[in-house]
Amino acid sequence: MQFLNNYKRIWILARFELIRLFLTKRGIIALAAFATVWFIILYYLVSSAVAIVSSDVFQDIAKQLFGVLGLTDLLKWPVPELAIYWLIAAYLFPSFALFSASDQTCSDRTRGTLRFISLRATRTEIILGRFLGQVLITAILIAVTILATVLMATYRDLTLFDDGVLQASKLFVDLSIIVLPFIAMMTLLNSFLRSSKMAIVVCTLIFGLGPFVIGLLAYKLPIASQLNYIFPGMQITELLGQTEMALTNYSLPIIQSVLFLIIANIIMKRTSL
Amino acid sequence: MSHIIQAKNLNKNYGHKHALSNVEFSIEKGAPVALVGPNGAGKTTLFSILCGYIKPSSGEVLIMGHPPGDKALFGKLAALPQDAQLDPRFSIAHQLKFYGQLQGFSAKKSQHEVERTLDLVGLLDVLNVKPSELSHGMRKRVTIAQTLIGSPEIVLLDEASAGLDPLHAREVREVVASLSSDITFILSSHDLNELERLCSQVLYLEQGCLKEHQTLTTPSSDKCRYFTLRMKQQEEGIIEALQQLESVSHVILTQDREFLIKAVAGHEDAGTDIDVLQLCHKNNWQYAQIFNGKTLENQLF
Repeated sequence: MQFLNNYKRIWILARFELIRLFLTKRGIIALAAFATVWFIILYYLVSSAVAIVSSDVFQDIAKQLFGVLGLTDLLKWPVPELAIYWLIAAYLFPSFALFSASDQTCSDRTRGTLRFISLRATRTEIILGRFLGQVLITAILIAVTILATVLMATYRDLTLFDDGVLQASKLFVDLSIIVLPFIAMMTLLNSFLRSSKMAIVVCTLIFGLGPFVIGLLAYKLPIASQLNYIFPGMQITELLGQTEMALTNYSLPIIQSVLFLIIANIIMKRTSL
Repeated sequence: MSHIIQAKNLNKNYGHKHALSNVEFSIEKGAPVALVGPNGAGKTTLFSILCGYIKPSSGEVLIMGHPPGDKALFGKLAALPQDAQLDPRFSIAHQLKFYGQLQGFSAKKSQHEVERTLDLVGLLDVLNVKPSELSHGMRKRVTIAQTLIGSPEIVLLDEASAGLDPLHAREVREVVASLSSDITFILSSHDLNELERLCSQVLYLEQGCLKEHQTLTTPSSDKCRYFTLRMKQQEEGIIEALQQLESVSHVILTQDREFLIKAVAGHEDAGTDIDVLQLCHKNNWQYAQIFNGKTLENQLF
Protein backbone atom coordinates (compact mmCIF):
# COMPACT_ATOMS: atom_id res chain seq x y z
CA MET A 1 0.00 0.00 0.00
CA GLN A 2 2.84 2.32 0.93
CA PHE A 3 4.57 1.86 -2.42
CA LEU A 4 1.28 2.65 -4.16
CA ASN A 5 1.25 5.99 -2.34
CA ASN A 6 4.82 6.57 -3.53
CA TYR A 7 3.84 5.97 -7.16
CA LYS A 8 0.76 8.12 -6.74
CA ARG A 9 2.78 11.05 -5.39
CA ILE A 10 5.37 10.64 -8.17
CA TRP A 11 2.57 10.74 -10.73
CA ILE A 12 0.96 13.80 -9.12
CA LEU A 13 4.32 15.60 -9.20
CA ALA A 14 4.90 14.58 -12.84
CA ARG A 15 1.40 15.66 -13.83
CA PHE A 16 2.01 19.07 -12.29
CA GLU A 17 5.00 19.48 -14.63
CA LEU A 18 2.80 18.72 -17.62
CA ILE A 19 0.33 21.35 -16.49
CA ARG A 20 3.21 23.80 -16.03
CA LEU A 21 4.05 23.50 -19.73
CA PHE A 22 0.68 22.99 -21.33
CA LEU A 23 -1.59 25.15 -19.19
CA THR A 24 0.41 28.16 -18.05
CA LYS A 25 0.96 31.33 -20.06
CA ARG A 26 4.73 30.93 -19.93
CA GLY A 27 4.49 27.30 -20.97
CA ILE A 28 2.20 28.08 -23.88
CA ILE A 29 4.57 30.81 -25.12
CA ALA A 30 7.44 28.27 -24.93
CA LEU A 31 5.31 25.79 -26.87
CA ALA A 32 4.51 28.43 -29.50
CA ALA A 33 8.24 29.10 -29.91
CA PHE A 34 8.89 25.36 -30.16
CA ALA A 35 6.15 24.94 -32.77
CA THR A 36 7.53 27.84 -34.80
CA VAL A 37 11.04 26.39 -34.82
CA TRP A 38 9.74 23.00 -35.90
CA PHE A 39 7.52 24.52 -38.56
CA ILE A 40 10.60 26.20 -40.03
CA ILE A 41 12.58 22.95 -39.77
CA LEU A 42 9.88 20.83 -41.40
CA TYR A 43 8.70 23.29 -44.01
CA TYR A 44 12.03 24.63 -45.17
CA LEU A 45 14.72 22.19 -44.09
CA VAL A 46 13.10 18.74 -44.23
CA SER A 47 10.93 19.27 -47.28
CA SER A 48 13.77 20.96 -49.22
CA ALA A 49 16.23 18.25 -48.21
CA VAL A 50 13.79 15.53 -49.28
CA ALA A 51 13.48 17.16 -52.68
CA ILE A 52 17.27 17.17 -53.03
CA VAL A 53 17.81 13.62 -51.77
CA SER A 54 15.00 12.23 -53.92
CA SER A 55 15.90 14.03 -57.13
CA ASP A 56 17.80 12.10 -59.81
CA VAL A 57 20.21 14.99 -60.27
CA PHE A 58 21.39 15.05 -56.68
CA GLN A 59 20.97 11.38 -55.76
CA ASP A 60 24.60 10.47 -56.46
CA ILE A 61 25.88 13.44 -54.49
CA ALA A 62 23.55 12.51 -51.61
CA LYS A 63 24.78 8.91 -51.70
CA GLN A 64 28.40 10.07 -51.56
CA LEU A 65 27.70 12.50 -48.77
CA PHE A 66 25.67 10.05 -46.68
CA GLY A 67 28.26 7.36 -47.42
CA VAL A 68 31.06 9.51 -46.02
CA LEU A 69 28.99 10.11 -42.90
CA GLY A 70 28.07 6.41 -42.57
CA LEU A 71 24.44 7.17 -43.16
CA THR A 72 23.86 5.28 -46.43
CA ASP A 73 21.11 3.16 -44.88
CA LEU A 74 19.04 6.25 -44.25
CA LEU A 75 18.68 6.74 -48.01
CA LYS A 76 16.93 3.38 -48.18
CA TRP A 77 14.15 4.49 -45.85
CA PRO A 78 10.80 4.51 -47.64
CA VAL A 79 9.95 7.89 -46.09
CA PRO A 80 12.88 10.26 -46.73
CA GLU A 81 11.20 12.97 -44.63
CA LEU A 82 11.70 10.80 -41.57
CA ALA A 83 15.37 10.23 -42.46
CA ILE A 84 16.02 13.96 -42.54
CA TYR A 85 13.85 14.46 -39.46
CA TRP A 86 15.89 11.81 -37.63
CA LEU A 87 19.20 13.51 -38.49
CA ILE A 88 17.95 16.82 -37.13
CA ALA A 89 15.96 15.51 -34.15
CA ALA A 90 18.74 13.25 -32.86
CA TYR A 91 20.75 16.37 -32.06
CA LEU A 92 18.05 18.96 -31.57
CA PHE A 93 15.91 17.13 -29.01
CA PRO A 94 18.76 16.47 -26.56
CA SER A 95 19.59 20.20 -26.65
CA PHE A 96 15.91 21.06 -26.28
CA ALA A 97 15.58 18.58 -23.39
CA LEU A 98 18.50 20.24 -21.60
CA PHE A 99 16.85 23.64 -21.82
CA SER A 100 13.31 22.56 -21.06
CA ALA A 101 14.43 20.43 -18.09
CA SER A 102 16.82 23.04 -16.72
CA ASP A 103 14.41 24.14 -14.01
CA GLN A 104 13.17 21.00 -12.32
CA THR A 105 13.74 22.05 -8.72
CA CYS A 106 16.01 25.15 -8.88
CA SER A 107 13.46 27.94 -8.68
CA ASP A 108 11.23 25.99 -6.31
CA ARG A 109 14.20 25.63 -3.98
CA THR A 110 15.15 29.31 -4.22
CA ARG A 111 11.55 30.43 -3.70
CA GLY A 112 10.96 28.03 -0.83
CA THR A 113 8.10 26.22 -2.61
CA LEU A 114 10.05 22.99 -2.25
CA ARG A 115 9.61 23.34 1.51
CA PHE A 116 5.84 23.08 1.14
CA ILE A 117 6.19 20.08 -1.17
CA SER A 118 8.78 18.27 0.94
CA LEU A 119 6.30 18.06 3.82
CA ARG A 120 4.06 16.03 1.52
CA ALA A 121 6.46 14.01 -0.63
CA THR A 122 9.86 12.46 -0.07
CA ARG A 123 12.85 13.99 -1.79
CA THR A 124 13.22 10.84 -3.90
CA GLU A 125 9.62 11.21 -5.03
CA ILE A 126 10.24 14.85 -5.89
CA ILE A 127 13.32 13.94 -7.95
CA LEU A 128 11.53 11.11 -9.77
CA GLY A 129 8.29 13.03 -10.22
CA ARG A 130 10.01 16.02 -11.78
CA PHE A 131 12.20 13.77 -13.96
CA LEU A 132 9.21 11.78 -15.14
CA GLY A 133 7.32 15.00 -15.86
CA GLN A 134 10.12 16.28 -18.08
CA VAL A 135 10.43 12.92 -19.84
CA LEU A 136 6.71 12.95 -20.58
CA ILE A 137 6.85 16.52 -21.86
CA THR A 138 9.74 15.74 -24.19
CA ALA A 139 8.12 12.48 -25.32
CA ILE A 140 4.88 14.29 -26.15
CA LEU A 141 6.78 16.90 -28.15
CA ILE A 142 8.78 14.20 -29.96
CA ALA A 143 5.52 12.40 -30.81
CA VAL A 144 3.95 15.60 -32.13
CA THR A 145 6.91 16.47 -34.36
CA ILE A 146 7.18 12.90 -35.69
CA LEU A 147 3.48 12.88 -36.43
CA ALA A 148 3.81 16.21 -38.24
CA THR A 149 6.63 14.76 -40.33
CA VAL A 150 4.60 11.66 -41.21
CA LEU A 151 1.63 13.84 -42.17
CA MET A 152 3.89 15.99 -44.30
CA ALA A 153 5.20 12.92 -46.11
CA THR A 154 1.68 11.53 -46.53
CA TYR A 155 0.57 14.86 -47.98
CA ARG A 156 3.28 14.43 -50.62
CA ASP A 157 2.52 10.75 -51.24
CA LEU A 158 -0.48 9.04 -49.64
CA THR A 159 1.07 5.58 -49.93
CA LEU A 160 3.80 6.52 -47.45
CA PHE A 161 1.46 6.60 -44.45
CA ASP A 162 1.77 2.96 -43.34
CA ASP A 163 5.55 2.82 -43.72
CA GLY A 164 5.77 6.24 -42.11
CA VAL A 165 3.86 5.22 -38.99
CA LEU A 166 5.98 2.09 -38.59
CA GLN A 167 9.24 3.97 -39.00
CA ALA A 168 7.98 6.82 -36.79
CA SER A 169 7.20 4.42 -33.93
CA LYS A 170 10.78 3.18 -33.92
CA LEU A 171 12.16 6.71 -34.11
CA PHE A 172 9.92 7.75 -31.23
CA VAL A 173 11.42 5.04 -29.02
CA ASP A 174 14.97 5.87 -30.15
CA LEU A 175 14.57 9.60 -29.55
CA SER A 176 12.83 9.11 -26.21
CA ILE A 177 15.73 6.96 -25.02
CA ILE A 178 18.32 9.39 -26.38
CA VAL A 179 16.93 12.30 -24.34
CA LEU A 180 16.69 10.37 -21.04
CA PRO A 181 20.28 10.97 -19.81
CA PHE A 182 20.14 14.63 -20.83
CA ILE A 183 17.06 15.16 -18.66
CA ALA A 184 18.58 13.07 -15.86
CA MET A 185 21.76 15.13 -16.04
CA MET A 186 19.66 18.25 -15.51
CA THR A 187 17.92 16.52 -12.61
CA LEU A 188 21.35 15.97 -11.12
CA LEU A 189 22.44 19.59 -11.62
CA ASN A 190 19.12 20.78 -10.20
CA SER A 191 19.71 18.81 -7.02
CA PHE A 192 22.32 21.30 -5.87
CA LEU A 193 22.18 24.40 -8.10
CA ARG A 194 19.81 27.23 -7.25
CA SER A 195 19.08 28.62 -10.71
CA SER A 196 18.21 27.16 -14.09
CA LYS A 197 20.59 29.60 -15.79
CA MET A 198 23.43 28.28 -13.68
CA ALA A 199 22.38 24.72 -14.56
CA ILE A 200 22.65 25.57 -18.27
CA VAL A 201 26.02 27.29 -17.76
CA VAL A 202 27.39 24.29 -15.83
CA CYS A 203 26.00 21.96 -18.47
CA THR A 204 27.71 23.96 -21.22
CA LEU A 205 30.98 23.76 -19.32
CA ILE A 206 30.60 20.02 -18.84
CA PHE A 207 29.98 19.40 -22.54
CA GLY A 208 32.50 22.00 -23.66
CA LEU A 209 35.42 21.34 -21.35
CA GLY A 210 34.66 17.77 -20.25
CA PRO A 211 36.01 15.97 -23.35
CA PHE A 212 39.07 18.22 -23.33
CA VAL A 213 39.83 17.42 -19.68
CA ILE A 214 39.25 13.70 -20.28
CA GLY A 215 41.50 13.91 -23.34
CA LEU A 216 44.28 15.35 -21.20
CA LEU A 217 43.76 12.68 -18.54
CA ALA A 218 43.72 9.94 -21.17
CA TYR A 219 47.03 11.22 -22.51
CA LYS A 220 48.62 10.34 -19.15
CA LEU A 221 46.33 7.48 -18.25
CA PRO A 222 44.72 5.78 -21.30
CA ILE A 223 41.97 4.12 -19.25
CA ALA A 224 40.65 7.58 -18.40
CA SER A 225 39.19 7.71 -21.92
CA GLN A 226 36.42 5.46 -20.58
CA LEU A 227 35.17 8.51 -18.72
CA ASN A 228 33.70 9.64 -22.03
CA TYR A 229 30.91 7.19 -21.33
CA ILE A 230 29.53 9.47 -18.65
CA PHE A 231 28.57 12.02 -21.31
CA PRO A 232 24.98 11.76 -22.47
CA GLY A 233 24.70 11.30 -26.21
CA MET A 234 27.89 9.26 -26.58
CA GLN A 235 25.98 6.72 -28.66
CA ILE A 236 24.17 9.16 -30.94
CA THR A 237 26.79 9.07 -33.70
CA GLU A 238 26.64 5.27 -33.84
CA LEU A 239 22.88 5.25 -33.61
CA LEU A 240 22.50 7.84 -36.34
CA GLY A 241 23.27 5.46 -39.22
CA GLN A 242 20.58 3.04 -37.99
CA THR A 243 22.68 0.24 -39.46
CA GLU A 244 22.42 -2.23 -36.64
CA MET A 245 20.66 -2.60 -33.35
CA ALA A 246 23.57 -2.40 -30.93
CA LEU A 247 22.48 -3.05 -27.37
CA THR A 248 24.77 -0.30 -26.06
CA ASN A 249 22.81 2.24 -28.07
CA TYR A 250 19.92 1.65 -25.72
CA SER A 251 21.58 0.38 -22.55
CA LEU A 252 24.14 3.19 -22.30
CA PRO A 253 21.63 6.07 -22.07
CA ILE A 254 19.49 4.08 -19.64
CA ILE A 255 22.48 3.24 -17.43
CA GLN A 256 23.62 6.88 -17.57
CA SER A 257 20.13 8.07 -16.60
CA VAL A 258 19.87 5.67 -13.67
CA LEU A 259 23.32 6.70 -12.48
CA PHE A 260 22.53 10.42 -12.69
CA LEU A 261 19.26 9.90 -10.84
CA ILE A 262 20.92 7.91 -8.07
CA ILE A 263 23.54 10.63 -7.56
CA ALA A 264 20.84 13.33 -7.74
CA ASN A 265 18.86 11.50 -5.08
CA ILE A 266 21.87 11.21 -2.77
CA ILE A 267 22.68 14.91 -3.15
CA MET A 268 19.05 15.96 -2.81
CA LYS A 269 18.72 14.02 0.44
CA ARG A 270 21.77 15.75 1.87
CA THR A 271 20.97 19.23 0.63
CA SER A 272 19.29 21.82 2.85
CA LEU A 273 15.99 23.12 1.53
CA MET B 1 0.76 13.24 28.57
CA SER B 2 2.42 12.00 25.41
CA HIS B 3 5.38 13.82 23.92
CA ILE B 4 4.76 14.65 20.31
CA ILE B 5 8.18 16.20 19.83
CA GLN B 6 11.36 15.20 21.60
CA ALA B 7 14.76 16.74 20.94
CA LYS B 8 17.95 15.45 22.52
CA ASN B 9 21.36 17.13 22.43
CA LEU B 10 20.53 18.94 19.24
CA ASN B 11 23.45 20.71 17.61
CA LYS B 12 23.69 22.52 14.33
CA ASN B 13 26.90 24.09 13.14
CA TYR B 14 27.46 26.29 10.13
CA GLY B 15 31.23 26.19 9.81
CA HIS B 16 32.51 27.51 13.13
CA LYS B 17 29.20 29.08 14.05
CA HIS B 18 27.00 27.15 16.45
CA ALA B 19 23.45 27.81 15.37
CA LEU B 20 22.16 25.37 17.99
CA SER B 21 24.04 24.02 20.98
CA ASN B 22 22.83 21.02 22.94
CA VAL B 23 19.21 21.95 22.63
CA GLU B 24 17.01 19.56 24.51
CA PHE B 25 13.27 19.77 25.00
CA SER B 26 10.03 17.91 24.70
CA ILE B 27 6.64 19.18 23.64
CA GLU B 28 3.38 17.62 24.67
CA LYS B 29 0.24 17.49 22.63
CA GLY B 30 -2.03 20.34 23.54
CA ALA B 31 -1.90 24.09 23.84
CA PRO B 32 0.28 26.16 21.48
CA VAL B 33 3.98 26.42 22.19
CA ALA B 34 5.94 29.64 21.74
CA LEU B 35 9.43 29.66 20.29
CA VAL B 36 11.00 32.92 21.35
CA GLY B 37 14.40 34.50 20.98
CA PRO B 38 16.27 37.41 19.48
CA ASN B 39 17.26 37.52 15.81
CA GLY B 40 19.90 34.92 15.04
CA ALA B 41 19.05 32.89 18.14
CA GLY B 42 18.43 29.75 16.10
CA LYS B 43 14.63 29.72 15.93
CA THR B 44 14.44 29.25 12.17
CA THR B 45 17.23 26.66 12.31
CA LEU B 46 15.25 24.72 14.90
CA PHE B 47 12.09 25.02 12.78
CA SER B 48 13.99 23.83 9.73
CA ILE B 49 15.29 20.79 11.61
CA LEU B 50 11.82 19.94 12.89
CA CYS B 51 10.46 20.15 9.34
CA GLY B 52 13.31 18.04 7.96
CA TYR B 53 14.61 20.85 5.72
CA ILE B 54 18.05 20.61 7.29
CA LYS B 55 19.78 17.89 9.23
CA PRO B 56 21.24 18.52 12.67
CA SER B 57 25.02 18.21 13.01
CA SER B 58 24.39 15.89 15.94
CA GLY B 59 21.60 14.92 18.27
CA GLU B 60 18.22 13.43 17.70
CA VAL B 61 14.71 14.68 17.07
CA LEU B 62 11.62 12.52 17.07
CA ILE B 63 8.25 13.83 15.97
CA MET B 64 5.46 11.49 16.96
CA GLY B 65 8.13 8.81 17.09
CA HIS B 66 9.48 9.50 13.60
CA PRO B 67 12.51 11.41 12.39
CA PRO B 68 11.75 14.77 10.71
CA GLY B 69 10.90 14.47 7.02
CA ASP B 70 9.69 10.88 7.41
CA LYS B 71 6.80 9.98 5.13
CA ALA B 72 4.82 8.90 8.18
CA LEU B 73 4.55 12.61 9.02
CA PHE B 74 3.04 13.63 5.68
CA GLY B 75 -0.27 15.27 6.41
CA LYS B 76 0.40 15.18 10.15
CA LEU B 77 3.03 17.88 10.36
CA ALA B 78 2.53 21.11 8.45
CA ALA B 79 4.58 24.26 8.44
CA LEU B 80 4.76 27.85 7.37
CA PRO B 81 8.48 28.31 6.80
CA GLN B 82 9.79 31.84 6.98
CA ASP B 83 9.86 33.57 3.56
CA ALA B 84 8.67 30.51 1.63
CA GLN B 85 6.55 31.51 -1.35
CA LEU B 86 4.06 29.74 -3.55
CA ASP B 87 4.73 29.38 -7.28
CA PRO B 88 3.71 32.68 -8.92
CA ARG B 89 2.63 30.95 -12.15
CA PHE B 90 -0.29 28.99 -10.71
CA SER B 91 -3.49 30.08 -9.06
CA ILE B 92 -3.84 29.70 -5.30
CA ALA B 93 -6.52 27.03 -5.70
CA HIS B 94 -4.43 25.05 -8.15
CA GLN B 95 -1.41 24.92 -5.85
CA LEU B 96 -3.29 24.19 -2.67
CA LYS B 97 -5.25 21.50 -4.48
CA PHE B 98 -1.95 20.01 -5.63
CA TYR B 99 -0.78 19.91 -2.00
CA GLY B 100 -4.07 18.29 -0.98
CA GLN B 101 -3.66 15.61 -3.61
CA LEU B 102 -0.08 14.96 -2.48
CA GLN B 103 -1.54 14.42 0.99
CA GLY B 104 -3.71 11.70 -0.47
CA PHE B 105 -7.01 13.49 -1.06
CA SER B 106 -9.02 13.04 -4.24
CA ALA B 107 -9.34 16.01 -6.59
CA LYS B 108 -12.83 16.75 -5.26
CA LYS B 109 -11.87 16.46 -1.60
CA SER B 110 -8.76 18.58 -2.23
CA GLN B 111 -10.92 21.31 -3.76
CA HIS B 112 -13.13 21.17 -0.69
CA GLU B 113 -10.09 21.42 1.60
CA VAL B 114 -8.78 24.40 -0.36
CA GLU B 115 -12.07 26.24 0.06
CA ARG B 116 -12.31 25.31 3.75
CA THR B 117 -8.79 26.43 4.63
CA LEU B 118 -8.96 29.64 2.60
CA ASP B 119 -12.23 30.43 4.32
CA LEU B 120 -10.52 29.95 7.68
CA VAL B 121 -8.03 32.70 6.85
CA GLY B 122 -10.69 34.89 5.25
CA LEU B 123 -9.47 34.54 1.68
CA LEU B 124 -12.10 32.46 -0.05
CA ASP B 125 -12.40 35.12 -2.75
CA VAL B 126 -8.81 34.66 -3.99
CA LEU B 127 -9.25 31.06 -5.09
CA ASN B 128 -8.39 31.69 -8.71
CA VAL B 129 -5.93 34.50 -8.18
CA LYS B 130 -2.19 34.07 -8.64
CA PRO B 131 0.10 34.75 -5.65
CA SER B 132 1.80 37.64 -7.45
CA GLU B 133 -1.53 39.50 -7.51
CA LEU B 134 -1.86 39.38 -3.72
CA SER B 135 -0.44 41.68 -1.07
CA HIS B 136 2.30 40.44 1.26
CA GLY B 137 -0.19 39.93 4.07
CA MET B 138 -2.61 38.02 1.87
CA ARG B 139 0.17 35.77 0.58
CA LYS B 140 1.12 35.06 4.19
CA ARG B 141 -2.45 34.09 5.04
CA VAL B 142 -2.64 31.81 2.00
CA THR B 143 0.53 30.05 3.12
CA ILE B 144 -1.03 29.69 6.57
CA ALA B 145 -4.05 28.13 4.85
CA GLN B 146 -1.85 25.49 3.23
CA THR B 147 -0.74 24.35 6.68
CA LEU B 148 -4.34 23.57 7.61
CA ILE B 149 -5.11 21.27 4.66
CA GLY B 150 -6.32 17.93 5.95
CA SER B 151 -6.07 17.32 9.65
CA PRO B 152 -2.51 18.06 10.75
CA GLU B 153 -1.58 17.26 14.32
CA ILE B 154 1.36 19.66 14.51
CA VAL B 155 1.59 23.01 12.75
CA LEU B 156 4.74 25.08 12.88
CA LEU B 157 4.27 28.75 12.10
CA ASP B 158 7.46 30.76 11.71
CA GLU B 159 6.68 34.46 12.09
CA ALA B 160 3.11 33.87 10.97
CA SER B 161 1.84 37.32 11.83
CA ALA B 162 4.91 39.28 10.69
CA GLY B 163 3.85 41.74 8.03
CA LEU B 164 0.15 41.35 8.76
CA ASP B 165 -1.99 44.33 9.69
CA PRO B 166 -3.46 44.21 13.22
CA LEU B 167 -6.85 43.04 12.00
CA HIS B 168 -5.49 40.09 10.07
CA ALA B 169 -2.92 39.28 12.73
CA ARG B 170 -5.86 39.00 15.07
CA GLU B 171 -7.66 36.76 12.58
CA VAL B 172 -4.65 34.46 12.47
CA ARG B 173 -4.56 34.39 16.28
CA GLU B 174 -8.24 33.50 16.32
CA VAL B 175 -7.67 30.67 13.85
CA VAL B 176 -4.84 29.32 16.00
CA ALA B 177 -6.90 29.64 19.17
CA SER B 178 -9.95 28.00 17.62
CA LEU B 179 -7.99 25.02 16.27
CA SER B 180 -5.64 24.53 19.18
CA SER B 181 -7.82 21.85 20.74
CA ASP B 182 -7.10 19.59 17.73
CA ILE B 183 -3.73 20.85 16.56
CA THR B 184 -0.54 21.52 18.51
CA PHE B 185 0.77 24.80 17.14
CA ILE B 186 4.38 25.84 17.54
CA LEU B 187 4.68 29.54 16.97
CA SER B 188 7.73 31.65 16.48
CA SER B 189 7.18 35.36 16.78
CA HIS B 190 8.70 38.55 18.12
CA ASP B 191 5.29 39.67 19.30
CA LEU B 192 5.35 38.53 22.90
CA ASN B 193 1.85 39.80 23.57
CA GLU B 194 0.58 37.55 20.83
CA LEU B 195 2.44 34.53 22.20
CA GLU B 196 1.28 35.34 25.70
CA ARG B 197 -2.34 35.22 24.57
CA LEU B 198 -2.00 31.94 22.75
CA CYS B 199 0.72 29.80 24.27
CA SER B 200 1.05 27.83 27.44
CA GLN B 201 4.64 26.69 26.91
CA VAL B 202 7.69 28.71 25.95
CA LEU B 203 10.98 27.69 24.40
CA TYR B 204 13.39 30.58 24.74
CA LEU B 205 16.47 30.38 22.54
CA GLU B 206 19.45 32.67 22.83
CA GLN B 207 22.61 32.28 20.77
CA GLY B 208 21.63 28.75 19.88
CA CYS B 209 21.09 27.66 23.45
CA LEU B 210 17.78 26.84 25.04
CA LYS B 211 17.68 29.26 28.00
CA GLU B 212 14.17 28.61 29.18
CA HIS B 213 11.83 25.73 28.72
CA GLN B 214 8.89 26.56 30.83
CA THR B 215 5.20 26.32 31.12
CA LEU B 216 3.43 29.62 31.55
CA THR B 217 1.96 29.06 34.99
CA THR B 218 -1.45 30.13 36.09
CA PRO B 219 -1.39 32.82 38.80
CA SER B 220 -2.89 30.54 41.45
CA SER B 221 0.06 28.15 41.27
CA ASP B 222 2.69 30.90 41.76
CA LYS B 223 4.55 30.78 45.01
CA CYS B 224 4.91 34.56 44.85
CA ARG B 225 2.10 36.49 43.31
CA TYR B 226 2.83 39.29 40.86
CA PHE B 227 0.84 41.94 39.06
CA THR B 228 1.93 44.07 36.18
CA LEU B 229 0.50 47.58 36.14
CA ARG B 230 0.65 49.77 33.04
CA MET B 231 -0.20 53.43 33.46
CA LYS B 232 -1.53 55.72 30.77
CA GLN B 233 0.89 58.43 31.82
CA GLN B 234 3.80 58.92 34.16
CA GLU B 235 2.57 59.59 37.71
CA GLU B 236 4.87 61.12 40.26
CA GLY B 237 5.41 59.16 43.45
CA ILE B 238 3.54 56.09 42.25
CA ILE B 239 6.28 53.62 43.24
CA GLU B 240 6.40 54.99 46.79
CA ALA B 241 2.62 54.97 47.04
CA LEU B 242 2.39 51.37 45.81
CA GLN B 243 5.10 50.23 48.22
CA GLN B 244 3.17 51.74 51.12
CA LEU B 245 0.26 49.38 50.46
CA GLU B 246 0.13 46.65 53.11
CA SER B 247 -0.42 43.88 50.59
CA VAL B 248 2.53 44.93 48.41
CA SER B 249 5.98 43.59 49.10
CA HIS B 250 8.01 45.16 46.33
CA VAL B 251 7.62 47.33 43.22
CA ILE B 252 9.94 47.51 40.21
CA LEU B 253 9.75 49.86 37.26
CA THR B 254 10.16 47.37 34.39
CA GLN B 255 9.88 49.88 31.58
CA ASP B 256 8.32 53.25 30.88
CA ARG B 257 5.01 53.47 32.84
CA GLU B 258 5.05 49.74 33.60
CA PHE B 259 5.46 48.38 37.12
CA LEU B 260 5.95 44.87 38.40
CA ILE B 261 4.23 44.55 41.76
CA LYS B 262 5.10 41.67 44.08
CA ALA B 263 2.43 40.77 46.60
CA VAL B 264 3.33 40.14 50.22
CA ALA B 265 4.47 36.54 50.65
CA GLY B 266 1.88 34.30 52.23
CA HIS B 267 -0.90 36.75 51.53
CA GLU B 268 -2.08 35.37 48.19
CA ASP B 269 -5.62 36.46 48.92
CA ALA B 270 -4.60 39.84 50.23
CA GLY B 271 -6.41 41.58 47.43
CA THR B 272 -3.32 43.37 46.17
CA ASP B 273 -4.94 44.05 42.81
CA ILE B 274 -7.96 45.63 44.51
CA ASP B 275 -5.63 47.77 46.65
CA VAL B 276 -3.73 48.88 43.56
CA LEU B 277 -6.91 49.83 41.72
CA GLN B 278 -8.26 51.70 44.73
CA LEU B 279 -4.97 53.58 44.99
CA CYS B 280 -5.24 54.62 41.35
CA HIS B 281 -8.84 55.69 41.84
CA LYS B 282 -8.03 57.65 45.00
CA ASN B 283 -5.22 59.57 43.32
CA ASN B 284 -7.11 59.93 40.07
CA TRP B 285 -4.34 58.04 38.21
CA GLN B 286 -5.33 56.62 34.83
CA TYR B 287 -4.13 53.05 34.43
CA ALA B 288 -3.99 51.37 31.03
CA GLN B 289 -3.90 47.75 32.13
CA ILE B 290 -3.41 45.56 35.13
CA PHE B 291 -2.06 42.11 34.31
CA ASN B 292 -2.40 39.19 36.68
CA GLY B 293 1.17 37.88 36.90
CA LYS B 294 4.40 38.66 35.08
CA THR B 295 4.16 39.41 31.40
CA LEU B 296 6.02 36.98 29.14
CA GLU B 297 8.46 39.77 28.37
CA ASN B 298 9.21 40.23 32.08
CA GLN B 299 9.55 36.50 32.58
CA LEU B 300 12.07 36.14 29.78
CA PHE B 301 14.10 39.29 29.97
